[in-house]
Amino acid sequence: MQKFIGTHVGKLVQRAVRIGSGGGQALPGLIVEKLFPGYFAAMLNKLPEGVIIITGTNGKTTTTKMVVELLRSQNKKVITNPTGSNLTRGIISSLIEQADHKGRLPFDMAVFEVDEAYAKQFVQQVRPRWVLALNVSRDQLDRFGEVDAIAELVRTTMCAAVEGVVTNANDPRLSVIGRDISKGENDVKVEYFGVHKSLRKYFPTDNEIVAIDTKHEILPAEPELPSVLLQSFKNQTAVYSINGKLYPTTLQVTGQHNFQNAAAAIALACHLLPTASTKVLVERLSTVGIAFGRGQIFKLRDKSSLQLVLVKNPASFNQTLASYLTNSPSVMVAINDDYADSRDVSWLWDVDFTTMTATSIEITSGSRATDMALRLHYDNIEVKTIEPNLNRAITAFCKLPGNKLVIATYTAMLHLHAKLEKDAGKIL
Amino acid sequence: MKDLHIVQLYINEMNTYGDRGNLLILSKRMRLHGYNPIIHYHHVGAHLPAKIDIILGGGGQDAAQIEIEQDMQRLQKQLHSLSDHSIPMLMVCGTYQLFGTRFTTSSGNIMKGIGIFDAETIGTGNRHIGNIAIKTTDYGILYGFENHSGRTILGTHQAPLGIVARGNGNNGQDKTEGARTNNVFGTYMHGPVLSYNPIFCDNLIKLAAENAYGVFIPREIDDSLSVLSRQAAKVRAY
Repeated sequence: MQKFIGTHVGKLVQRAVRIGSGGGQALPGLIVEKLFPGYFAAMLNKLPEGVIIITGTNGKTTTTKMVVELLRSQNKKVITNPTGSNLTRGIISSLIEQADHKGRLPFDMAVFEVDEAYAKQFVQQVRPRWVLALNVSRDQLDRFGEVDAIAELVRTTMCAAVEGVVTNANDPRLSVIGRDISKGENDVKVEYFGVHKSLRKYFPTDNEIVAIDTKHEILPAEPELPSVLLQSFKNQTAVYSINGKLYPTTLQVTGQHNFQNAAAAIALACHLLPTASTKVLVERLSTVGIAFGRGQIFKLRDKSSLQLVLVKNPASFNQTLASYLTNSPSVMVAINDDYADSRDVSWLWDVDFTTMTATSIEITSGSRATDMALRLHYDNIEVKTIEPNLNRAITAFCKLPGNKLVIATYTAMLHLHAKLEKDAGKIL
Repeated sequence: MKDLHIVQLYINEMNTYGDRGNLLILSKRMRLHGYNPIIHYHHVGAHLPAKIDIILGGGGQDAAQIEIEQDMQRLQKQLHSLSDHSIPMLMVCGTYQLFGTRFTTSSGNIMKGIGIFDAETIGTGNRHIGNIAIKTTDYGILYGFENHSGRTILGTHQAPLGIVARGNGNNGQDKTEGARTNNVFGTYMHGPVLSYNPIFCDNLIKLAAENAYGVFIPREIDDSLSVLSRQAAKVRAY
């Protein structure tokens, strides 16, 4: 009953909000959450093929996009997160929006990107059918706590899976959790994705990121045999080894970390689509486009291109430096310190800039523009301009000739994305 | 060029959030002042090097603190003796807590400290998180970022590193932040602390150089970016 009433109340609020200011997307979700606390679970538990959760420190958005597109290519009707919202209210708002007038969701399954802290609450309300846990690394300490604490949050989420979990064979913390689940009494499938031994150096674990002397590195005692392995990659072509057979594909998504994420997406999709051909699924990955602000390319007025890349923590910043500097772009770095960015910018000192081929950065921007410049200064990288104001910085940066790369933390990325959507190719 | 030996304690266990930055800044500034920094990483079970001019320690998770607790007990006498010989040390967050007398974690585990500071820490479920500024008599205002669930109470005769101007510091009650005994400094300030506070950093180098060579002649360093980052830190909210 509350599905029916909740949906109608929510839809009324949505209409009222639209007539009013236009903003307030989360408001219907907030009201329904308060009035009908069971709405969320009641709606999602009715989905015939259940709920899939994708969690972990890095790569959630791109991997979710890949999984959803693979499922849809096989005619599954999939509901997923609205852009930029992985909290209950945002998800409830989108359930209300998508529900029909009988309060039913016309979908087969849901695939949600859920952050580590929120995933634990989510699974208390709705048991997921499958959980994909990508990786665990030091993230925003002020939001998530220390890395062992994050791993424990992810463990709770993984243990809530009803049918199976897919996780990272090369992540020392997650592979241990995977092994614990396989030893458990519940009949839950545990599958792994991984990267070939020869590629391990491109994908350091959290311990390796900060360790100086790696002899104390914690490795899984017995590396698990991944069902999907990233065998090799060259430029945009990646080769996956799946149950012993090799499958090449050319990807649109950029960055070597996304080649690893694709392995995770295939491993999960093979289980959700047991009758689909592996070859067809791998080939379908080549059509998955770049997710919001994760390496998106904007064409500017002078026909040059500008790539926008989100960084959140040392692991993603290191991956960005390893992946996006090969065509020697001019570089702008925008660091904000809002809650969603991490208020503490100490993490910038765990990024390894000594591998950077560029010897100078054009502009640092954002509320921590000066701290970023100081950080680079201590690694002998010159910063030509410090401009905390993001609009002024991006405008000046776009005037430079040639390829351009903007590296930005979350709120800086959102701001610059909006500005570029509006002005790229016109004013900029 | 004159060598200065830096010992970084437990880099793999105690390096939660940018602590490696302090090592980078310290060694770079030593070089700019005309010294040759030699970095020794001290791991659990190993001997400290024969020559030590300065020691650094970073923050860590409770689990990591348990891993190093025994090793610190093993080094207790040696560290006390180095402290008595005026060797400078900078201990941040987790190692600061273990340089006190005792640390009771929020889950009730009791860890023995090495007691260079007369300071006891009790873990809570509530973190103090934010941009902190403290007043010191010797180095002016120090800026940093605090993020800790431990509340540290100093003994009656224990000197703090400074007095809180913005933020919480040791316990959020008595306005003290950090501790100082001889040339050993303990603090909750990340940032890393040496990035915003080059005067404090150069003072550590001065103490190390004077111990080793009797005299420290600083060179002029271009600190315009540090000055800018301090100006930004000055007006930042907690």
